[in-house]
Amino acid sequence: MTDLISTDHPLTNPQQQTLSALLDVLIPADDDGLMPSAGEVDLGAYVNEKSRDFLPALISITDEFEAPFAALSFAERLEQVRSWSEVEPELFQKLLMETYAVYYQQGRVLEGIGSKAGAPFPEGNTVQSGDLSLLDPVLAKPRGYRRV
Amino acid sequence: MTKTASDEPVDVLIIGAGASGAAVAWSLADTKMRIVCLEQGDWMKQSEYPTNKTDWEVQQFGPFNIDPNIRKRETDYPINNEGSPINVVNFNGVGGGTILYAAHFPRLHPSDFKVKTLDGVADDWPISYETLEPYFGQNDRMMGVSGLAGDPMYPPKQPPLPPIPLGLVGETVARGYNKLGWHWWPSDSAIISQPYNGRDKCLNLGPCISGCSQGAKSSTDITYWPEAIRAGVELRTRCRVREITLDDQGMADGVIYYDDQGEECFQNAEVVIMACNGVGTPRILLNSKSDRYPNGLANSSGLVGKNLMFHPVGFASGIFEEKLDSHKGPQGCCILSKEFYETDLSRGFVRGYNMQISRGSGPFHTAIQGYMNGKIPWGPGHHEAFQKRFDHMANIGVLCEDLPEECNTVTLDPDLVDSNGIPAPKIDYTLSENSRRMLDHGLARAEEVLLAAGAIETTSSGLVQAAGWHLLGTARMGKDPETSVVNPWGRSHDVKNLFIVDGSIFVTGGGLNPTSTIQAAALYIADTMKKNLANLFD
Ligand SMILES: Cc1cc2nc3c(=O)[nH]c(=O)nc-3n(C[C@H](O)[C@H](O)[C@H](O)COP(=O)(O)OP(=O)(O)OC[C@H]3O[C@@H](n4cnc5c(N)ncnc54)[C@H](O)[C@@H]3O)c2cc1C
Repeated sequence: MTDLISTDHPLTNPQQQTLSALLDVLIPADDDGLMPSAGEVDLGAYVNEKSRDFLPALISITDEFEAPFAALSFAERLEQVRSWSEVEPELFQKLLMETYAVYYQQGRVLEGIGSKAGAPFPEGNTVQSGDLSLLDPVLAKPRGYRRV
Repeated sequence: MTKTASDEPVDVLIIGAGASGAAVAWSLADTKMRIVCLEQGDWMKQSEYPTNKTDWEVQQFGPFNIDPNIRKRETDYPINNEGSPINVVNFNGVGGGTILYAAHFPRLHPSDFKVKTLDGVADDWPISYETLEPYFGQNDRMMGVSGLAGDPMYPPKQPPLPPIPLGLVGETVARGYNKLGWHWWPSDSAIISQPYNGRDKCLNLGPCISGCSQGAKSSTDITYWPEAIRAGVELRTRCRVREITLDDQGMADGVIYYDDQGEECFQNAEVVIMACNGVGTPRILLNSKSDRYPNGLANSSGLVGKNLMFHPVGFASGIFEEKLDSHKGPQGCCILSKEFYETDLSRGFVRGYNMQISRGSGPFHTAIQGYMNGKIPWGPGHHEAFQKRFDHMANIGVLCEDLPEECNTVTLDPDLVDSNGIPAPKIDYTLSENSRRMLDHGLARAEEVLLAAGAIETTSSGLVQAAGWHLLGTARMGKDPETSVVNPWGRSHDVKNLFIVDGSIFVTGGGLNPTSTIQAAALYIADTMKKNLANLFD
């Protein structure tokens, strides 16, 4: 579901499977199917394009979670990721940042949270001007600035 | 070897093309003098601002970060903030800080100019609100300011454009203020709510602090500068000034700067005007040492770089059951409250603060903030917690008046330098007991308002680190050369053809965003220079 197209993927197929299983734990799909899992996002391609400094770390993270990881149950994967996040808090935080960054750019995700997909400009947003009669009590009070 | 930029000396050389540099250039242009402005940064392009792209929120962590130490553009200089709980934030380019500012545009109050007389602390300004009043109006018209006349907390004034929308956030929080019987008012904003001077109106994109793709935010690259350039001012970008030089009489005779190729150049000038902000200006003055001025230029008072004032800031956030569409509309500008602005010693501090209601963040920021403060987990429960907060938040920023203290300083770092080898500024700042009490008081009141407005949960940030937006006081104005750096119209007491027009000249900072007052003072100084052209150096 990612909006990114990549022909030269930086991760091998097994690495991509592991990463997808890992991201699925960070942001799982919601129960009613409105919000997709982060595992559906191609984080490898995103990092390769936008955040290249992080790519070696991303590859080593996928290597850390060995092959059977993707085949484990959700609860087992969650447990492994939680322990790893405690051992490598900085790396974990960076992975989470990158995951949130790409996840909350996806059209389907933005629509799911009631926001518009794509760049804010040029469409913009409508905001109601508001009821200025709410100022009546403020105007009823005396002048409030200090004379000098 | 130093390259001479031009055989001809220029009449007026302005350093810095930000808020004040633009205003002074425009005002002086009608004298037909030869005016050149040197700016270390580039022109910005609206088409390159983040809101043109889907990754707009991510860019706020990188090339559009408000902190130059993170942004690290070639045009930025590093700042050593290790001695300060507040980091300096800025933008270096045509427009200066107005490129990234939130565009809150209040004026200082009349009482802010007479702090010593009224409250027995700090000092009075040598000028008054009345002195600046016509220039506030002129500046509002030049910049394009939206607001509502009739605020009982100000002397009468008429913003040129109607207020920007309150939205659900503004209305909801306003009801909270009304319940408590406290003051609030739509914010004066340098954002155009209607088409104005060839610019189209605000589209409510959201993140004004990463630049405005629509050009509705009044940054000086699109307000003053086009007019100043049409009137004959020359603006040279990618020119970073290292020092101001002196002639045998001790008058400024020009500047040494590095051009876009990194070549050292000299520009001869009859008058030098500094507009590099409250950190950049003392930095260059302190770096302009000579036998005559071994402690830095214009520094016989010893006050260059001292009395640094920020506005210590904290935020209270409220979560509401109902959807507030909080990520839509100018993020920083909505409504404000001056209920606690003027001194009331029973509160446990002198002077006061203003409360600024700001709208919510975009989705990525909401998720990150939620993770950082433990309110939105990763893993199971993420979506539920996210949906509870995203578009359901209102924030109140508490912006406190900081009193001038000589121990709060900008000095030259002995080791850190910029890409041209110019020493970087070093900030040493301690939050005073008065400011701390004020902030605590303000955050408690802000949570009270949010609860009165119906918030189901509130949190408070404490002092925010990345909030050194307002850089003031480091070359203060005054009548006495022993206790001030410049005279009441911005002229250095020591060097009679050197002027300062940026936020450094503030004597006190008020409890409000300063740019409207910085620019009004710059226009006033320019006007006074024009009136005194024949005997400018007497
Ligand atoms: C994120 C953010 C939000 C803000 N929000 C608000 C707000 O809502 N309301 C408000 O009133 N204010 C706000 N501010 C502050 C506002 O931007 C400043 O008050 C204002 O821009 C200061 O004007 P100035 O002329 O003093 O300096 P600046 O606008 O900072 O301009 C200084 C210029 O000098 C240039 N310069 C510095 N040194 C050199 C050198 N050696 N050689 C050549 N050029 C040099 C710089 O590149 C810069 O362009 C905000 C600032 C930031 C960063």
